[in-house]
Amino acid sequence: MAAVPANKIYSVYQINRMVDDRLRSDFSDIWVVGEVSNFKAYPSGHLYFVLKDERSQIQAICFRESAQRLKFQLKDGDLIIGHGRVEVYVPNGRYQLILDTIEPKGLGALQRAFEELKRKLEKEGLFKAERKRPIPQLPRVIGIVTSPVGAAIHDMLRTLELHRAHLKVLIYPVAVQGEGAAEQIARAIWDMNTIEEVELLIVGRGGGSWEDLWPFNEEVVARAIASSRVPVVTGIGHEVDWTIADFVADVRAATPTAAAAVVARGWEEFEQRLDDLWSQMNERVQEFIFEREQEIEALIKHRGFELVHRRLSEAQYQIELFMNVLSRVVNQKINACFQDLNLRIERLNRQNPAARVMRWRVMLETFSSRLDKAFSNIKTPLEARLTKAAASLDALSPLAQLARGYAICQKPDGGVVMRVDDVQVEDEVKVRVADGRLDCQVKNKMKGV
Amino acid sequence: MAGKNSEIESIDFEQALTELEKIVKELEAGSLSLEKSLVLFERGVKLARLCKEKLAAAELKVAKLIKEKDGVFTEEPFKPED
Repeated sequence: MAAVPANKIYSVYQINRMVDDRLRSDFSDIWVVGEVSNFKAYPSGHLYFVLKDERSQIQAICFRESAQRLKFQLKDGDLIIGHGRVEVYVPNGRYQLILDTIEPKGLGALQRAFEELKRKLEKEGLFKAERKRPIPQLPRVIGIVTSPVGAAIHDMLRTLELHRAHLKVLIYPVAVQGEGAAEQIARAIWDMNTIEEVELLIVGRGGGSWEDLWPFNEEVVARAIASSRVPVVTGIGHEVDWTIADFVADVRAATPTAAAAVVARGWEEFEQRLDDLWSQMNERVQEFIFEREQEIEALIKHRGFELVHRRLSEAQYQIELFMNVLSRVVNQKINACFQDLNLRIERLNRQNPAARVMRWRVMLETFSSRLDKAFSNIKTPLEARLTKAAASLDALSPLAQLARGYAICQKPDGGVVMRVDDVQVEDEVKVRVADGRLDCQVKNKMKGV
Repeated sequence: MAGKNSEIESIDFEQALTELEKIVKELEAGSLSLEKSLVLFERGVKLARLCKEKLAAAELKVAKLIKEKDGVFTEEPFKPED
């Protein structure tokens, strides 16, 4: 490489700054015409979009100060005339259009195509309310024509599940944007119509730019929906997006999620209705039973029954009266019998042999006491003589001698000591006196004292 | 596939609901004998319970349609990650 002077080598930043300077001086005050696409309004108030025509496009910005002065709502598909400048966004080197004034300039090409097709189909009567068919209340099998990737299919399936829709879902995967998408969608709708079990179709896609949604604005899709055997529910883009497909559809839901909810609603209502009927039925039967109870109650209180009641109680009273009389008569009879019985018992008692024995016993006792008295008359003088004899006998007793001061000396074996030799010195002897005994020891023996 | 689906098809939910509505209406007319109304009630309870059970048992079934070369469609299990 040839030697390059250092002051001729630019940094990336320097290049972007130089281009920016050039653009700012050359395009500081320009007018532009183009169609708005990929429009985004940021919370900051700045508006970002792409301005384009058949051949080219450029990134455009309308900052908040200018955006606040706009006299109309900018949106995708608008054809506008704008005034502003061109500059480079230095950090990424891209150049962009900064617009300070925006005026509407009729319709853009896509918008024009949209309006034309809409007018044409409307004239054919494809949007008419009477063409719209009710969707089946409880569909068993539904078809979904959408992209198999992305949030839309996921949201739809989740919504169906959430609302407890008892369905079989057949997904027909298609491209939902770009070249050939419209034809794929139309083909899918036709194909779905050949599958007998399918009762309902959802045609949908998630949010995107005006161009992204474009396939749903094409005639081939509109025709497919219009000729569908089964009702079609559309859920395309966001709330604000209305496509031709939405106009032709039997039901247009704001989003794919809303479309799924519409389909599931019948199932949800079915369950509620079932619960309602259940409780109505219960209530009704309870009422019914209550009414019957009331009727029976009323019957019981009826006059006819009251008469019977009165007769019954009268009869009862008479029976009671009769019973009273009867019991009195019976009691009298019984009392009379008892009296008679007592009399007889008394009479019988008088002839009782036990009474005679009693009389005999009294007589016997009298005799016995007289006999006792006679006996004691004989006994007493005999006893006195016996006492006297005993006293004389007493005077002769050895015991009586003791009373006069004599003593008897006995050996331990009881033998009476008659002589000195009957004992040895130190022998123990018992000496009996009148009122007791003395235990003594022989200290000495002396004969002849 | 048809076999798996038959548990949904085996009960006609709409018909069951219509019959239930008729039963409630008849009960509400109040011109029935006790026996007749109890028979109706029993039938209603059976219908409602059957529907409830079927609803509780049935689940969302999801399949992807594949168009074969001969134009016949086959179903394939659908995975959201596809």
